[in-house]
Amino acid sequence: MEENELFERYKQTGDIALRNQIVEKYLYIAAVIAKKFVGRGVEYDDLYQVAALALVKGVDRFDASKGIKFSTFITPTVTGEIKNYFRDRSRLVHLPRKVAELRADIRQAAEAFMSEEGRTPTARELAARLGVSEEEVVGCAEAGVTVSLDRPAEGGEGNFYEVLPASSENEFEKFEDRDAMRDALSTLSEAERTLIHLRFSEELSQVETAKRMNVSQMYISRLERKVLQKLKERMQRGTV
Amino acid sequence: MRIPLGNEMMTTVRLATGGVCALKGLDIDASEDCKVCVTESLLLLSHAGFGQAEIGFSDEEGLRVFVGGMGQREAGKPCPEDEISAALLGALASDVCMEKKGETVISVSFRFAP
Repeated sequence: MEENELFERYKQTGDIALRNQIVEKYLYIAAVIAKKFVGRGVEYDDLYQVAALALVKGVDRFDASKGIKFSTFITPTVTGEIKNYFRDRSRLVHLPRKVAELRADIRQAAEAFMSEEGRTPTARELAARLGVSEEEVVGCAEAGVTVSLDRPAEGGEGNFYEVLPASSENEFEKFEDRDAMRDALSTLSEAERTLIHLRFSEELSQVETAKRMNVSQMYISRLERKVLQKLKERMQRGTV
Repeated sequence: MRIPLGNEMMTTVRLATGGVCALKGLDIDASEDCKVCVTESLLLLSHAGFGQAEIGFSDEEGLRVFVGGMGQREAGKPCPEDEISAALLGALASDVCMEKKGETVISVSFRFAP
């Protein structure tokens, strides 16, 4: 069946089976676009899910009589949904919750100011509107901005990288440790790795971890001790 | 920057683009979007049969990026994903200009504001 015919029939009948047929036909677009946004701190599967949902919603909104191809119509829609997801749920640089919330408030207040006054607000005006200090507004505006290490250092010679304070720890050793840890983790079972992820990456409590893994807190406690001991021995032996 | 059009060059180009975006004060999201747009432009040119591309950055109400095909052009292989690439460019960047010779894309330029 031709593209337009399919959409026309769905528009006339509202048949969900027909909609599903359209979605399945164009699901590759969701996959293609989701792949373009991998590497920004969100798993591909999550991006694919957001893109697929946007596709389903887009099928209802598409008007074949306007003469544009569905792929041309749906790409900005799916892209917009993915970008909203990044804005609302995740960032490559994780900002503290308070800063992230204030950033959202600042954006809304700035838009409201623009429509009321017809000009961009100053930091002082935004601060007054939001009941925060001017410094907080400026700080939030700068948060999450990338800075090039090659950028000229302020008030001095050389670049930014050269004036960065050196860490007191040996960075190379930290890299080696991280490598060794990665190797040691690869020797764990799937359940053990899940435990480590939940406890030390997601920072869940033992009770929360137990709920997520569908076991008792006591079991988590024992398993955690065992896994940490295992990792410690593995790294001390230097066999990794 | 003049590069041979091959997958192995994409990472280098994306890194260079990220550096330029950071120097221009673009935030992380805009920098990542700019990298996607450069990659999509290169893919369009590659599918059009170009063996090399030239990438230029200029100050123009933010950052304007120009990506043009260079060198001997072989017979292109039209790819169904080209439509998605073109639509993606339009969705992510401002002032997208796509120069064509017949049906073939020969250059793409777009702008990102800080």
